[in-house]
This record gives sequence, C-alpha cells and structure tokens, in this order.
Amino acid sequence: MKRIKVKAENCAGCRQCEMVCSFQHSKKFSPSLARVTVHKDDRDGLDYPVMCHQCSQCPPIEACPTGAISKTAEGWTWVDWQTCIGCGACVEACKYDAIKLTNEKALICDLCGGDPECVKRCPTGALEYVEAPESTETPEQAFNRLREAWNIE
Amino acid sequence: MSKPYGYAGKVLRINLTDNKITTEPLNPEEAKLFLGGRGLNAYKLYREVPASTDPMGPENKLMIATGPMVGTMFPTASRFNASAKSPLTGIFGDTNAGGHLAPEIKFAGYDQIIIEGKTEKPSYINIADDHVEIVDGKKVWGKTVFETDRIIKQTHNDHRLQTLICGPAAERGVKYAGLFANQTRAASRTGMGTVMASKNIKAVAVRGTGTIEVAEPETFKEQVLELEKEIREHEQYAGRRLMGTTRILMMADKAGFLPTRNYTQGTFEHAEKVSGERLAAEYNVKTRGCFACTIPCSRIYTIKQGPYKGLHGEGPEYESLGSFTSRIGNPDIELALKANDLCNQLGIDALCTVGCIGWAMELYEKGLLSKDETGGLELNWGNPEAILTLIQQIADREGFGDILADGSVKAAEKLGKGLEYTVQVKGMDLIMADPRGLKGFGLGYAVATRGGDHLRSEPFIELSDDPSIGKKMFGAPGATVRMADTGKGKLINYFEDWCAVIDALEVCKNIMQNMMLLEFPRAAYAYKITTGIEITPEETQMAGERITNIERMFGIREGITRTDDTLPKRFITTPLKEGASAGTVLKLDQMLDEYYQTRGWNPETGHPTPQTLKKLQLEYAIPHLPNHTD
Repeated sequence: MKRIKVKAENCAGCRQCEMVCSFQHSKKFSPSLARVTVHKDDRDGLDYPVMCHQCSQCPPIEACPTGAISKTAEGWTWVDWQTCIGCGACVEACKYDAIKLTNEKALICDLCGGDPECVKRCPTGALEYVEAPESTETPEQAFNRLREAWNIE
Repeated sequence: MSKPYGYAGKVLRINLTDNKITTEPLNPEEAKLFLGGRGLNAYKLYREVPASTDPMGPENKLMIATGPMVGTMFPTASRFNASAKSPLTGIFGDTNAGGHLAPEIKFAGYDQIIIEGKTEKPSYINIADDHVEIVDGKKVWGKTVFETDRIIKQTHNDHRLQTLICGPAAERGVKYAGLFANQTRAASRTGMGTVMASKNIKAVAVRGTGTIEVAEPETFKEQVLELEKEIREHEQYAGRRLMGTTRILMMADKAGFLPTRNYTQGTFEHAEKVSGERLAAEYNVKTRGCFACTIPCSRIYTIKQGPYKGLHGEGPEYESLGSFTSRIGNPDIELALKANDLCNQLGIDALCTVGCIGWAMELYEKGLLSKDETGGLELNWGNPEAILTLIQQIADREGFGDILADGSVKAAEKLGKGLEYTVQVKGMDLIMADPRGLKGFGLGYAVATRGGDHLRSEPFIELSDDPSIGKKMFGAPGATVRMADTGKGKLINYFEDWCAVIDALEVCKNIMQNMMLLEFPRAAYAYKITTGIEITPEETQMAGERITNIERMFGIREGITRTDDTLPKRFITTPLKEGASAGTVLKLDQMLDEYYQTRGWNPETGHPTPQTLKKLQLEYAIPHLPNHTD
C-alpha cells in the first residue's frame, strides 16, 4: 500500500507539515492539533517528521479499551472520535510516538483520505506518498545514520 | 474592539525585582498602529524606558515580541525582535532573528514578553503556556549557549521547548553580547544578550500548546498557496536554496564592495576560496529552515579533516562568513567556520567582534599598535591564532580582548588612538558591504535608528543599476543606480518604512522584501485576512513610518542630532583604488538633506518636526523634542 515515506536527509525542520496538517483538520494552527510532529536536534542540525507508519500490525488497535481504533478497507489506521474516550492507551502502545492526545481525543494521521496535504506542501521533498513497506525507522536511528555519514559524534 | 485574530492577544510582563508575573490584553488600537514585533517593542520601549536610563540597570526593560502571522503557515512568519536600550550605543537597541522561538511564544499565548527589574540570583525564565516561573540558574550560569540549551531541555525533559539564551560573554558584560535561539539563530546586534545577563537572566525557555486562528481561513490559505508558488518560481529561489545569504560574497567581490582588510579594499584575492559556492560544494551536508519557510536556506556544514576536524553546525550567513574572511584578510574558510562557531558558543555578535578585530589589525599593520599593547598577539591580517585567541579573550574580558569588549569606539578611547579607523556608526560596527559601491546603503547606515546597520532599510534595489525603476518608484532615476548620489533620500525613506513593516509583521526580509513579494498593498491584505482588522496600503506604509519615527525619537531623547548621522571618515574622503566600485566617495551631506526633507524632519537638526509627529499620531513624543516650548 501507499505510505508516507520520510527522507530525513531532506527534512529542513521547517515544521510547515505541522501547520498544514493542523489547518487541514481544524482550520486552526497549533502543533497540538497536528498529526505530525517534527523531532529535532539543533546541535547536529537533524530533523525528522514523525507520523503514523501505517503498520499492518498496529498495537494501539489492541490497546484501545473502547475499540475506537481500527483499519479502514484501504488498510489505513483510523480513530473514531465518537468512541474515543481520550484515555491515552494508544499513545503508550504506539512504538513510534506517532499519536498525541488533544482535547481528550487521539490524533492519528488519516493520510487526508489518500491525498496527504503535508506531502504536497513539504518545501524540500522530505515527504513522499509512495508504495512502500512499513518503515521501522525511528528519528534517533535516522539521526545516527546521518551522524555516521557525516563523520560526527 | 474584541481580540483580533492572528495575534495571541496577550502581553506577558515579568518583573524580576518583585517576582511579579502579570498579563495584559494586547491593545487592538496599538496593534494596528504598530502592527507587531519590532513596532510593538519600539512603542512600549519609548513609553516605558525614559531618557538617561542606565542600559545595564534594573530600570532598563528587555522586550521580546513577535508578529500577527507568526504561528501559522504564512511563509517565513517565524521571527521575533528583542529590544531594550542598548548598552553598546546608548540609543534604541533592537535585534531580530528567525528559527522556532517566535511561534512557540505565540502558541504559549503571547505577542510580547516584557522583562523588567533584576533577580537577586542568576536565574532563567521558564514559560509553559500560562505557567511562568523564575528558575534557579546555577546549572546554566557560566555555560556556553549550546550547553545551556542542552541543560534546559534536559532539566524540563522536553526536547520541543524553545530557548533564547545569552552566552558567557554576556555574563561578563561584553557590550555586544547577543541572544541566541535554536543555538545559532543570532539576535546579536546592539547587545541585547548583555541586557538580559544584566538582569541576572541566562535564558528564556518557552513551550506553548495553544492555537492561533486567522480571520479568513479560506482566503488565508489561497494567499499562502499563491505566495509559496511565487517563491518557488522566483529567479532567486535556486541560489538562496543552495547557499542562503552566502551567495552574496562572490556578488559583492565582483561589484567591488566586499569589505576587505577593514575596508581598505573592496575586492578580496581569495574570494572564491571563501565563497558560498565553495561552502556548498565542499562542506554543506543538509539544509535547514526557519518555521514555515518555503526556501529553507540555512545549511549544516561539517569539516572532515584538518585542524578543525569534526567541527559542524548551522550557518554561517554571509555577514559572518565575510567578516571572518575578507574583512580580516583571512583566506581560510575553515578558520572562518571555527571563528563563527566560537562566537555562537560564547554568545557574541560576529559583526562587532570582527569590527574590533579588523580595526586592531589595521592599526597593527600600519604600525600604530605594538605587540606590547596587544599582550604579545601578532595582529597580522588573517593570523589564525590571533583571531581565535582574541575572540576568546573578548568573551572572557581578558588581556587585549578586554579593551575590545566594550566596542570599537570605546577601544579607541581606551588606547587613545585609532578612532578614525573604526568602521562604525553611533558605536555599532558596520556590516559587510562597502558603501562606496552602494551609496544608498551608505545613507542607510548613517541614519539607521539602531546605529550602523543595513537592515533598517536594505535598499537592495540599488543593485539593479536600472534608472527606470528609480524613475518609476520615486521620480528619481539615481535612486536605483548604485554609484549615483541622487534620489537616495527618497530611496531610504521608502525602504526604511518597508523594512519596519516587514520586521513588525515578523516575516523574512530576505524573501518578503528582497524578492519583492510583500509590498504595502499585499502586506495590508495579508494583515487584514489574518487579523480581521481593516487596514489600507497607505496606513500600512504609515505604520512603517511611525515605527521609524518613534525609534528615531528614542535616539533624539538621548541626544542624537544630525551630526551623529555620519559615516566612517574613509567613506567620505578616500575612494577605493581598485575594483568595480573604485574612484568615488559618498556625498553624505547632500544625501542627508534629501532624506530629512523626504521624512519631514528638520534638515538642520535631523529631528522630526512636531507636524510630522502629529501626523503619525505620536503627539506624546513632541514634548521630547529638544528646544520644545509648550
């Protein structure tokens, strides 16, 4: 299936994806309303946007006590806000720190229904929406990979 | 009027002496008159910090403000201004930077933070939305900018919080110590770090989780998409994307205004070796951007071998790159990276630092300064050991560095010589463009409200060398011809007002002004769809004029007159000998006459007239005009 692929070496850390995501879903601007969060290391100049990896085996689905999280027919992870009670069990269960709670609801990337706005608006091509296997990369892994390539400690 | 959109709507006031933390609603009328950021700071500082206030005393106030579009997806709206009375110049102190601090301040709920008084013990300020506390600063006092950032993030276990930090140089009272966001985003002009440290404050940490709403979301999105498209399709896009401002170095060299060996030359024989092009080809590994930027133009470099092996970081911008190469006769680009890194860590302004070092080197090379006086340092052009040692000595206030730590004017006073070789206006060292090749820039330096500086006007359009533009814009063909002496008063008048608006909206001057994307009509439109406050292009321009005038009045209240609007002697008396800017000097008096006339200021004194102040709704400043009888 198509997933959002992150290219850490391209990410400039501008966080426009956060603003675009927030606006797309709420017509307002706040990192708290964004389903993507850019992790950063200012010392080494590293940036990594974290969002739902669309894992086929999604631990938050199991962890949710009310069954609010499920997979759509397309295979996308989906949270039903009618059923979500904001307990945060999914936040704990997600291996990639890709879920946040705002106003007592879980925020999970919904791929904008198959046409992700963040990908279209990323100014540096750090995000691609392509056929790709599930990524298991964490920001720290990507950062270490780049540190190694750049010969810095 | 209810709270406007766009703005966070609150001013945070932190009184350190009384440990009193309060908020005030943002006044919508004041917001429209001064727009935000630099404008709000200029207004509040004028009203709250009277003449003769000791810049290093508790009565001085440090103000940090941001703009109405910051904290949205509006391209480049990411910036803040920090302002206070300057310990370097004694007049309006003000500095601006990007990065990610400003939107965090908005998300925390504030348009402006006013820090007044002084704490008993070294401390830092921690702001997490409504929760504001003064935290014991033992762990960070004495630490470098980078270490402080790391410790604060660790202490609060939050890598998303943003910091504004002063370095160890500020703690020791170096008069041109800066404030640093995201470690290397230097808001370092006019000594605002020095002011923060004088209040016993090491840093401001901010974390915000709030929300910014705009007045017309759909129109706003259309406007943002339009701007993003225009930026990507702009002829300057590729060069800025690759090199950021470092692309200027080769342009300046070719045009013969690259300050070389303390402005004794306008071209540098090693320019290519220290160029933005070389940096991009051999050192840069990644780009970075400020919040919501469409052209991330900042760069991460690494040095893979040699004496500085392993050194890496963000930047530098053109001003630091040129400062630590041509300006002090250094052909080694890696030494420049090292010097810039050192300035960032220690928290000092690269331009003032190199202003002092370049000045001392010229004296040394001319035989006017001896090894005995420099504590044994051999200040030959480009001497790596001398350069790095002096930077450290300045920050530590030790040895010869202590003499330089109060600025080049004070250094000349202490040594009793060499004032004519300092390259400063009103006590602030100039930037990296020789005005003999850019006459309008020269006028801009002379009149800038914060002392020697180009960013108050940045009349880049002079570089077009196209008289038809000047004719169309100002009825003055010379205005847009770089070597011409005429039309410059009108040029600087217009560009000062424009820069004031850009700074008040806290968008990026490189993109929104240099690329001609946010002129007054569009700025007015963007302001309206963001805030819901109706404003005309004329009112927007007048807001810029108002900001320039109130900053000017801050200086006048401290004694500034026409005679202070001057330039280093060599620009007025001695032409450059070689290069594409050789053969002419600045006719400053003639340019000043035209400028004051355009501004509606008294040509003899350089003071705004009461009529001008009244027109700008600055009646409260009229009694502060010298010789005012009322």
